[in-house]
Amino acid sequence: MASEKTDVVAESLLVKTTPRLSALGFFMALPPMLLVICFVGLPILIAFTFSLGFTTGPNRVVSIIGQEIHKKDHWWGTFGAYKDVFHDSRFPGDLRTTLLVTFMATVLVLIMALGIGIYQRMIGGRLAGVMTTLTLVPLFVPVVIASWAIHTFYAGDGFMRTLFSHFGINFPTLTSTVSAIIIGTIWTSLPFAILMVTSGLQSIPDALIETAQDAGAGFFRIIRTVLVPLAITPIVIAGTFTAIGIMGSFTIPLFLGPNQPTMLGVEIANFFGAYNRPQQSIVMAFVVFAAASGIALVYIWANVRSAKQSGRI
Amino acid sequence: MARREKTRSKSSSPVIKVFLLIMMIALAFFILGPLLWLGIHAFVSNWTYPNLYPDGWTFHWWTQVFADSALADAIRNSLIISPIVVIASMIICLPAAYAAGRLHYAGRKTFLIGMFAANSFPKIGLFASIATLYYALNLMGTVVGVIIIQLLGTIIYMTWIPAAAFAAVPRNLEEAARDAGASKFKVFRSITLRLAMPGILVAIVMSFLASFDEAQGTYLVGAPAVFTMPTEMYSLVQNYPIQVAAVFSLLLALPSVLLISLARKHIVGGQLAEGFQIK
Amino acid sequence: MTEALQEDGLVLGGLTKVLGGRVIIDNLHLVVKKGEMVSLLGPSGCGKTTTLRMIAGFLIPDKGDILLNGKDVTTLGPEKRPSAMVFQNYALWPHMTVFNNVAYPLKVRKLSKPEIEKRVHEALNLVNLMHHKDSRPSQISGGEQQRVALARALVQEPDILLLDEPLSNLDAKLRVKVREDIRDLQRRLGITTVIVTHDQDEALSISDRIAVMNAGKIEQFSTPQELYDRPETEYVANFIGSLNHLQGGYNDGQIIAGSEVVGIRPEDVIFTKGQVPGSYSATVELVVPRGHFSEVYLKRADAELRAFISSDIPAVGTTGYARISKALIYQDGKLVRVA
Repeated sequence: MASEKTDVVAESLLVKTTPRLSALGFFMALPPMLLVICFVGLPILIAFTFSLGFTTGPNRVVSIIGQEIHKKDHWWGTFGAYKDVFHDSRFPGDLRTTLLVTFMATVLVLIMALGIGIYQRMIGGRLAGVMTTLTLVPLFVPVVIASWAIHTFYAGDGFMRTLFSHFGINFPTLTSTVSAIIIGTIWTSLPFAILMVTSGLQSIPDALIETAQDAGAGFFRIIRTVLVPLAITPIVIAGTFTAIGIMGSFTIPLFLGPNQPTMLGVEIANFFGAYNRPQQSIVMAFVVFAAASGIALVYIWANVRSAKQSGRI
Repeated sequence: MARREKTRSKSSSPVIKVFLLIMMIALAFFILGPLLWLGIHAFVSNWTYPNLYPDGWTFHWWTQVFADSALADAIRNSLIISPIVVIASMIICLPAAYAAGRLHYAGRKTFLIGMFAANSFPKIGLFASIATLYYALNLMGTVVGVIIIQLLGTIIYMTWIPAAAFAAVPRNLEEAARDAGASKFKVFRSITLRLAMPGILVAIVMSFLASFDEAQGTYLVGAPAVFTMPTEMYSLVQNYPIQVAAVFSLLLALPSVLLISLARKHIVGGQLAEGFQIK
Repeated sequence: MTEALQEDGLVLGGLTKVLGGRVIIDNLHLVVKKGEMVSLLGPSGCGKTTTLRMIAGFLIPDKGDILLNGKDVTTLGPEKRPSAMVFQNYALWPHMTVFNNVAYPLKVRKLSKPEIEKRVHEALNLVNLMHHKDSRPSQISGGEQQRVALARALVQEPDILLLDEPLSNLDAKLRVKVREDIRDLQRRLGITTVIVTHDQDEALSISDRIAVMNAGKIEQFSTPQELYDRPETEYVANFIGSLNHLQGGYNDGQIIAGSEVVGIRPEDVIFTKGQVPGSYSATVELVVPRGHFSEVYLKRADAELRAFISSDIPAVGTTGYARISKALIYQDGKLVRVA
């Protein structure tokens, strides 16, 4: 028994201490890293300095074009643009809408994904297969089209109102409300969440479920104590990706949401383009980024946890 | 022994069956309803609320779309730019994906997480940030600028999914091929690449769609000089009747439908999901 | 206990199961006495696992009854049956500690916390794993995982313990030790046990009785000794132990022309230097060392015979005499006589 264990340890050590071709690996990884550093890292960094009032160098052009630019008044910059945003009467509403939509849509997407995933795992059959395939349809459809289709579907002269008016029911016009944003984000986020969650659930061996049945556990207890804990990593990944995607979304709230308050994604574009206040736009982007980073931490935690559990660390 | 009889000891009761059927219909309605509603409009002359049937059927809007040079330009741009983006993405990312999946270099995990972190900055904010850089580099309103923007959206697919696919190729299969006398390159081509192909295929499809559907960034840096199909939709829905947008939507959805049906098996088969777990 | 039968233990009455259009189990009868350890032995695909899964409740038979201590459990789900199963790969939940794995069945039964703790500790002590109670399954060895799975089954105090190839994932040395542990535990607790295996050594050494299965049927159900000494069918004779398999008839220690099948255990072939009654001259053709004995190929005038010889191994080319001390004679696959 002891020898068995040391073998496993020795093996894992062997894998970990093989620095084979590490230099080559590093160079192979370089191109996308450079691309990301140049066109994601660097712009974000420059934008951060811009938000603090550094208006020279790469920020010169945008500072000349933009309006209401705050220039730095300390060595570290200024909080002028941040104050602008936080004191803007529309900002709290926008932030609340963004967080509300993100939370509601993520929760609903996860519930749907879990429901369908568990249905397929525990009961299965043709209907479950059809259901899963159905939820993948949004993957086929560009966001712009989806948003517009949902817009027309729930609009004042849309299908829902047309249909219900024939039963004498006045179905509410959802288009241009926060509800429509939530519907739209659920619609577009569903496939990814379903793929992650169902594949996580499907990879749980039958025996682990059957043992629980054998031990006397009922349907819901098995879901709670076996299925969900074992698939928690893909579920968390699905949740965090969905939340981060929704938080920064633009097209859906643009097409489906009200003018005010709307999601910060739309407001960032408005401030950058229509209002020509780039500095304030960037500040909002950092607010969203801060919130998204929090979610990203959860994602990384989930990955580390799963690695630990399977004994990879 | 390996026989896998699914245990269905509990046959679901009729109440549950009816409930599931209702859920299924609601789901179908929720997902397909908007698409069908918009799709039908592509062939409709006019639809008066609250009639259940349109006033008449026509192909008029299709001719209008193809006759409009701006719309045709957008279609052409999309069909040229997206393949370039995918190929560029493959050249840049696939070696890195192989490295991340197969070689243990310093900072491998940092690399994967970095790719993810780059993805978690809100897109629209990133595009606004990039715009300031683009002004400085004179990339605003250029095709190259648009290609770079779209490239960024493909990186996460083109690194992660193939990385997982490469990592999943059993090493002993490669060793067996080496043992049989195949050269390193031949082993890579005939074993590693072959077995990782489904994952790469899924990455290509997802990257193509990410590029083909990218609207926000393309609009921000491309407009008004470079329009692709999705960015054209922005102005379309404001300036044209709904039927024209419907026609355009059908055209825009066509490549996605074709590509995804090609790779459907692998996407559903878990290649996509596998790619998003850091190992 | 509504219809109390006189028979305690497990009764399988005419079980039939069709899966995917194939008859997997065909009218199977089996009675396991209370406290008895019975092996279902057979090659892959003979239906032994399917049978076990029907006993556990994961499959519902198409025909037939399953009685457990006199109670009909044929259509009960696994969660309602007083049976506990140990799976081939142990099926330990990786997200729970050893303690929680074992405690799970008790938590399901809503026992009080101190009661759960007491019984889990008892079970873990039984399998000598108290020191690992806070470990995760991935942190312990295969043999230890096996014992956790066993503890998790025993903690339920089941009426019947079901083991599905419990040793197949262990290395050879460990397998012998664990199977002795299981046997010892089973005897001490006096728990009715059904074990599925494809390994005849395992079945012979661990069971009170063995049911040899073939194509969904039980070929023979008897004690290990009887199975070895008097295999009722040619199939069983071939499956259990080694056999010289000769076409023809048998008369007076010699193979003669005939339409029967003569089965001779290699240990029943006795090689001597000098002639004794019933022996005939034989030449050593080949010697294969097998550790504590050697497999010796002998050529006689009437037949070629394999013999197991453990001392005074003859060299190749040696001439001597070979005697058959016991032969099993089969006609149409069935044992007709022992000579």
